[in-house]
Amino acid sequence: MTTMAVKIDHVSEDGIRQLVDAFYVKVRQDVELAPIFARAIPGDWGPHLDKMYAFWSSVMLTTGRYKGNPLAKHFALPGVRPALFERWLALFNETAEELFDDDISVEFRAKAARIAESLKLGLFYRPDRPWPPEAV
Amino acid sequence: MTFVVTDNCIRCKYMDCVEVCPVDCFYEGDNMLVINPDECIDCGVCEPECPAEAIFPDSQPGLEDWVKLNAQYAAIWPNISIKLDGPDDAKAFDGIANKLEQYFSAEPGQGD
Repeated sequence: MTTMAVKIDHVSEDGIRQLVDAFYVKVRQDVELAPIFARAIPGDWGPHLDKMYAFWSSVMLTTGRYKGNPLAKHFALPGVRPALFERWLALFNETAEELFDDDISVEFRAKAARIAESLKLGLFYRPDRPWPPEAV
Repeated sequence: MTFVVTDNCIRCKYMDCVEVCPVDCFYEGDNMLVINPDECIDCGVCEPECPAEAIFPDSQPGLEDWVKLNAQYAAIWPNISIKLDGPDDAKAFDGIANKLEQYFSAEPGQGD
């Protein structure tokens, strides 16, 4: 017998925690993303997850809990390339759809897409090169 | 992509935006705030928080001059990440048209 999990119909700190936890389980199993994250977070994942709970709380619940400079953090990561943002987004979208109902999942996915595009522009856009970059 | 602060912030400077911004990308002038386009991650959290409705995405047409002004002054004004008291007469200036020409000050604010 299978049971259908009831999808979450609102944004809360608890929902954000579930999303972040489930998302990073996928990330850590992903062939392309796992090595990047493993290099960036070689030890305890607790602090990173706490930071991500705070980040999404700031973005979705306007709590101001996260304060940081994500662009600089991404600049410092070796091996990041534009196509990995698409992979990241695909896993994030999949996780959001699994956990939340359509209305809420759309909100998460829209924010994630905007932020990913902005980080990608910040990292890779150069005035003298075509945008979007070739899929590399 | 970035959000930009526009005309109606001038002499209102309510500063609700700085509290919710996750990346502290607001910079304070004497009588308005601007967003550093190189630091803004386009999350849009600030837009609905602005009581003066002065914040817009730069994808909106007609904001080119504001995009330039935000970038120009974000480079020289101090960062602000904590909401301070705005001007006492903010309400009186909320909604007045063309404040840039009449009231804009290029002087830096105090920052925090």
